[in-house]
Amino acid sequence: MIELSDYLVLGAILFALGMAGIFLNRKNAIVLLMSIELILLAVNFNFIGFSTFMGDLAGQVFVFFILTVAAAESAIGLAIMVTLFRNRGTINVGDLDSMKG
Amino acid sequence: MAELTEFIWIMAKIVAILVPLILAVAYLTYAERRVIGAIQARNGPNRVGPMGLFQPFADVFKLLFKEVVIPSNANRFLFLIAPMLSLMPALAAWAVMPFSDGLVLSDINAGLLYILAMTSLGVYGVIIAGWASNSKYAMLGAMRSAAQIVSYEIAMGFALVGVLMAAGSMNLSGIVNAQAGPIWNWFWLPLLPLFVVYWISGVAETNRAPFDVAEGESEIVAGFHVEYSGTAFALFFLAEYANMILIAALAVIMFMGGWYSPFHGLPVLGPMFDWVPGIVWFVLKMTIFLYLYLAFRATFPRYRYDQIMRLGWKVLIPVTVVWLVVLALMILAGLGPWFN
Amino acid sequence: MIEQLIFYVFALVLLFSATMVITVRNPVHAALFLVLAFFNSAVLWVMAGAEFLGIVLVLVYVGAVMVLFLFVVMMLDLNLSQLREGFMKHFYIGVPFAVVMAVQMLLVVGSGLFAPETLPEARMPIPEDVGNTALLGSVLYTVYVYPFELAAVILLVAIIAAIMLTLRRREGTRHQDPGKQVRVRKADRLRVVNIPSARRQSEQE
Repeated sequence: MIELSDYLVLGAILFALGMAGIFLNRKNAIVLLMSIELILLAVNFNFIGFSTFMGDLAGQVFVFFILTVAAAESAIGLAIMVTLFRNRGTINVGDLDSMKG
Repeated sequence: MAELTEFIWIMAKIVAILVPLILAVAYLTYAERRVIGAIQARNGPNRVGPMGLFQPFADVFKLLFKEVVIPSNANRFLFLIAPMLSLMPALAAWAVMPFSDGLVLSDINAGLLYILAMTSLGVYGVIIAGWASNSKYAMLGAMRSAAQIVSYEIAMGFALVGVLMAAGSMNLSGIVNAQAGPIWNWFWLPLLPLFVVYWISGVAETNRAPFDVAEGESEIVAGFHVEYSGTAFALFFLAEYANMILIAALAVIMFMGGWYSPFHGLPVLGPMFDWVPGIVWFVLKMTIFLYLYLAFRATFPRYRYDQIMRLGWKVLIPVTVVWLVVLALMILAGLGPWFN
Repeated sequence: MIEQLIFYVFALVLLFSATMVITVRNPVHAALFLVLAFFNSAVLWVMAGAEFLGIVLVLVYVGAVMVLFLFVVMMLDLNLSQLREGFMKHFYIGVPFAVVMAVQMLLVVGSGLFAPETLPEARMPIPEDVGNTALLGSVLYTVYVYPFELAAVILLVAIIAAIMLTLRRREGTRHQDPGKQVRVRKADRLRVVNIPSARRQSEQE
């Protein structure tokens, strides 16, 4: 049988991978966005796991809202990325050091 | 042991769906060339076998024996996996398709959602093919067609939302059963605008004429599959026609009463046609829609790309949104014979 | 037994593709691996009984959000070597950090705090006989109707923000206005000019 701990372990490792991704790809803003997606996915795994094993629907509703907000976040993030590239010619986070637009 | 026999039984069912489907694809290409030939007052293929009936097999064997040329500096793995990625969802969607009452491989409750999810995967084959080919024509074609597919998916999804509101079910058999009755009981009548929107976006979704800018021969040679040859090209070809058949089948299920005969439940005509099995009606209706595909290609000039985008975003989507409200009012009013 | 096997296979592919997302060199490959990760998660969610969310994950994330990612990554002309610099330097900080974090979380999970018998009573129990989709719908439009509307507003704001950020009016492009084209009358375009026909030179004199 699949246990609750299986889902929780999977979520924990996925979360750590997402964190590591943010450290490793400090320069590349697009991979940073992808790492954030991984972290949100890990959180969703925990919600789904608890929802299934407690027999409680609230967890799934929460995942629904996380998906909505994450989709909005990545859409705006990518739009910012495109604007950034158009104005500065780079998406290197290290180069974005001026406060003036 | 029981599990094993069940597994074999399911495999047999899958084969029983896929083999006729692939044969249908083969003869759809033949029908396309004959129909367009007839519309343009010429013969079309008529040499291989009686009336050219073996032409599809000749084409298939020709393509199978050709070499798959991989462009230099192309990403080999992605280049080869792209055709499979475009064919896979077109075939996987058939898992929930009800051919007749109870004749369905997997009768899941979220069938409509599953179909939407599967059709939304088809775009990856296009994008990956365009990117992995390492060619600017392929890349441009892929970008065009991916943007087109993603935009028209929204209009299509909205049209299908109307269907599931009307039927009150996402199970495809449930949707068909909600339309039980003669031809004016089917959903095409109360959902006429959504039906038209669905069909237009279905044609656009499959990148067929008049929305075939993605592979416009005269502009960007052949779009995303310009670098493909041999079997890989055949797979793209297969995927395009399998998608056409899928869209036609969905149109029949959502709007044209699935396996019901057009005289179902009528006093005299109804019993007269009772002996015809449901799958015959299903296939007949599908054939009409497939013919429409071919007739469109033969009669309409190609749209310009910005016109396609304008049609999708500024015409079709607002129409569906308005009609969803009208539909909600019709359901609230219990308008007969559909919603009472 | 078979169920467990399927779970582990998909979980392993998920972890593998997540690792590739953060380590692979080309952002296009990273995006494709992320697609694979989402697809495997969708399968695992369906296995856990959340079939609506699993299918929506494929529909929304794989079908739309990741296509957007791929579009952006493919269209931007990225300087890969510049973006990769510092990778090894941060490797020695980031990986130990992540490992410590994972170990801590695994210790919490393994401590028996989440054993099945210690879980609290469900506040919104899942009935057996209703489909997952119908169930979520019935809750979303009643108990959670205000958060639901709020989520819709967030999406609307995201649409407007994304369009406003990327919309660019280029100088010198000529767009056609269909309304204008339809309203055109003959008098606007056509001018009939009466030109005397040419005569032979001899006649002119």
